[in-house]
Amino acid sequence: MEKTKYAPPVTGSYILKNIRLETGFIMDETGAKETRTELFCIEVSEGKITKIFTNNASLPGAIDAKGYLMLPAFSDMHVHLDKTLYSLPWQAHSPKKRSILDMIAYEQEIIPELLKTSTERAGLLIDLMQGYGTTFARTHFNVDTTSGLRSLENLQKALDNKKGSFSAELVAFPQHGCFYTDSAPLLKEAAQLDSVAFIGGVDPFGIDRNIEKVLDFTVELALDNNKGIDIHLHDGGKEGLCTIEYLAEQALKNPSLQGRTYVSHAFVLASLPSNELERIAEKLAAAKVGIVSSIPFGKLVMPVPALAKHGVNVLAGSDNIQDHWSTFGTGNMLQKANLIADLYGWRTEFDLSRTLRFATHNVLPLDNEGNMQWPKVNDSAEFVLVDASCSAEAISRISPTMAFAHQARLHWKEAERDAALGKFE
Amino acid sequence: MNRSILSRKEFIRNSAWALAGATLIPGMLFADEREEHAGLNSLNVNNTGKSFTLKNVRLETGFDYEDGDVVATKTGIFSVEIANGKIKKVSTGQPHADAIDVKGMLMLPSFRDMHIHLDKTFYGDKWQAVRRRTGGVKGMIALEQEILPEMLKNSTYKAEKLIELLQSKGTSFARSHVNIEPTSKLDSLRHLQKALDNKKKGFGAELVAFPQHGVFYTNTAPYLKEAAQAGVDFIGGVDPFTVDGAIEKTMDFTIQLALDHHKGIDIHLHETGESGLKTVEYLISKVNENPVLKGKTYLSHCFVLGKLDQAKQEEMAEKLGAAQIGINSTIPFGGLIMPIPMLMKHQVKVMTGNDSIVDHWNTFGTGSVLYKANMAAQLYGHNTEFGLSRMLGLATAGPLPLDDKGQQQWPKAGDAADFVLVDASCSAEAVSRLSPVKSLIYQGTVVF
Repeated sequence: MEKTKYAPPVTGSYILKNIRLETGFIMDETGAKETRTELFCIEVSEGKITKIFTNNASLPGAIDAKGYLMLPAFSDMHVHLDKTLYSLPWQAHSPKKRSILDMIAYEQEIIPELLKTSTERAGLLIDLMQGYGTTFARTHFNVDTTSGLRSLENLQKALDNKKGSFSAELVAFPQHGCFYTDSAPLLKEAAQLDSVAFIGGVDPFGIDRNIEKVLDFTVELALDNNKGIDIHLHDGGKEGLCTIEYLAEQALKNPSLQGRTYVSHAFVLASLPSNELERIAEKLAAAKVGIVSSIPFGKLVMPVPALAKHGVNVLAGSDNIQDHWSTFGTGNMLQKANLIADLYGWRTEFDLSRTLRFATHNVLPLDNEGNMQWPKVNDSAEFVLVDASCSAEAISRISPTMAFAHQARLHWKEAERDAALGKFE
Repeated sequence: MNRSILSRKEFIRNSAWALAGATLIPGMLFADEREEHAGLNSLNVNNTGKSFTLKNVRLETGFDYEDGDVVATKTGIFSVEIANGKIKKVSTGQPHADAIDVKGMLMLPSFRDMHIHLDKTFYGDKWQAVRRRTGGVKGMIALEQEILPEMLKNSTYKAEKLIELLQSKGTSFARSHVNIEPTSKLDSLRHLQKALDNKKKGFGAELVAFPQHGVFYTNTAPYLKEAAQAGVDFIGGVDPFTVDGAIEKTMDFTIQLALDHHKGIDIHLHETGESGLKTVEYLISKVNENPVLKGKTYLSHCFVLGKLDQAKQEEMAEKLGAAQIGINSTIPFGGLIMPIPMLMKHQVKVMTGNDSIVDHWNTFGTGSVLYKANMAAQLYGHNTEFGLSRMLGLATAGPLPLDDKGQQQWPKAGDAADFVLVDASCSAEAVSRLSPVKSLIYQGTVVF
């Protein structure tokens, strides 16, 4: 993995010229044959896109985007920024077979050491992700009897250090169970913090051996503190299914949970017969419960197309980026979208362009009919500039990120900065 | 070039290994301490075809075990002398004063892409996605008949760009299929040969004469005969039953052509049903009848193996192993998973390649076979130090620094000087983290 540094950001008001935007599909009898793009000027002011106008390549004082394609900001919707081995010397996955309970014991052993440098390592992991254009993450952070709330505190320091270039929503994650270890009181404490957006969880059956007790506690905590829910579910079989259904029913009963309740992984959905899957998908869609997936691609393949067809909000994330659970993650959301497209056979211009939504938290420049829907005047200035001719190419070729704007602060890769800014300053 | 930094790094790494597997190493932020190695070109290496010495080269020397399991890879720092395209000497002694410092980079065998179509690509040209098409493989043949004349116009240029992409990912050798059919005739071959000639100092290839439009479905047989005498190394093929309508006729022609011209065989086989299995079985029987074909006959893709039950898979793997027929796989995932670990268990030579980089068949190729090794490690759960280190063999098409017992077997004096320098501490890390390739040396020539 190459590290790529950004130059100090351009802030305040500015105009970008030679910015490539998608403006429609060029159709033939087989569908969208190509994506039409045109160059524009874009004015950014007070955190927003304030003007989009016909390109003027000789506009004085404008920053030259050199024809790079502007795409909505990249978001990684499931990651553990607090718990990574990234930047530490290489250490492979242990050859010992470990159950989930063994892993909890292992974490209890290593967490005190990990916490000593977790702020710095989270910072380096964010650097890695930013190199690939990611500026937003939903990150789980461990809440357990070994970490207390220190994993959160360290993560917050790392996020503070990245203020203005990276943001996150935080999930309080009882990795060692709510009751298997006595994490419930800590979780209650975390739930009261403004910085925490979601109550997390993991395998209510597999760890705490009591689905209803754990979910009732989680739901109550979310309702009492006006938070969302995002629980890890690896449990398969009837227990896994029961967990999903119970959570969906809670969301149906409590409309304030709708649209902000998620099941991460939800592997059990990969093993359901199609009529059963359809029933569950409809229920999830009705309850507005989303699924977050790291997109496994081996023996277990998630039914992402079927879920999406029934209106379930499916989000994607890296999950592990080089940690003691897996040493593989790259932190690159375009690569994740590429994997999704390859896995599900989404290869045409149209299908590839739709796959971009997994990198951008559902924001797409063109709607399904090819009408321009992003960016619009008054949209917040959150975007990336990639070296690609259209989003289909960006997904298929995993095109490099040249710059990004987060909270309107425009960060160019060091190697790109001078050519872009030219006489700007 | 700074010994004190190197030794500090050494100290850190060594203490890491001492603790690896037991618990975590506190208080170290390693990545930022690593001194950047910007590639040999930046160090003004001007030794093409001559001799030079690299110092501070990291080589794998063995495995560390714990309770019988490999938990880490031992490495040491060496000097490596290169002369006349070969590795002349590997030593721990004091290097020459003018030795080039590679700052602890890991040296691995250079990568080889063993299934690719260098002759037929959009790479270097305007982006175009795959189109929704009907008519299966015959529809694709009709499409190619339409678009190849245009694609051939700048195919030398595009092949060169593609070779540069592969080099940038650490690949210095490819087995490239090259279209032979009545539309291209031998032009696709000649254009590619020109590109390879232009790139020969930094890239090697072996060529497969590939009747993409069938041997008999279009009248390709005469062109194949001509190609067999025009500098190719293998006779290719594609789905004899689906395209030509008869397994034996096509296979007999292919095998005879290979025998007559002392070539190998590498046949694309996508068929998954009975015809796929029959094709494999027929090829096995023919190779057993003609032992001269052993070790130089390959099936590319061979999806049918992924569709068989386990007992039949074992049986076919054994037979392929015994006939020394290799399998070339792009390592598909999702719908069909190839039994690659089982093939390897039965000593079948398994190799990988990108196949398409960006063309009218597929637009997903990265150009990296290290990425293929990484995907295979994930797909087959080879995620331990040992499992990851073995997967490197997919990227190198065979050579590994350590054998399965941890004995150092590469590099040795007399080996071809084909290697990469990678920013990683061991091959397991390189496979898992897709570590960047900082330098590529091909037959003693510094590519970068």
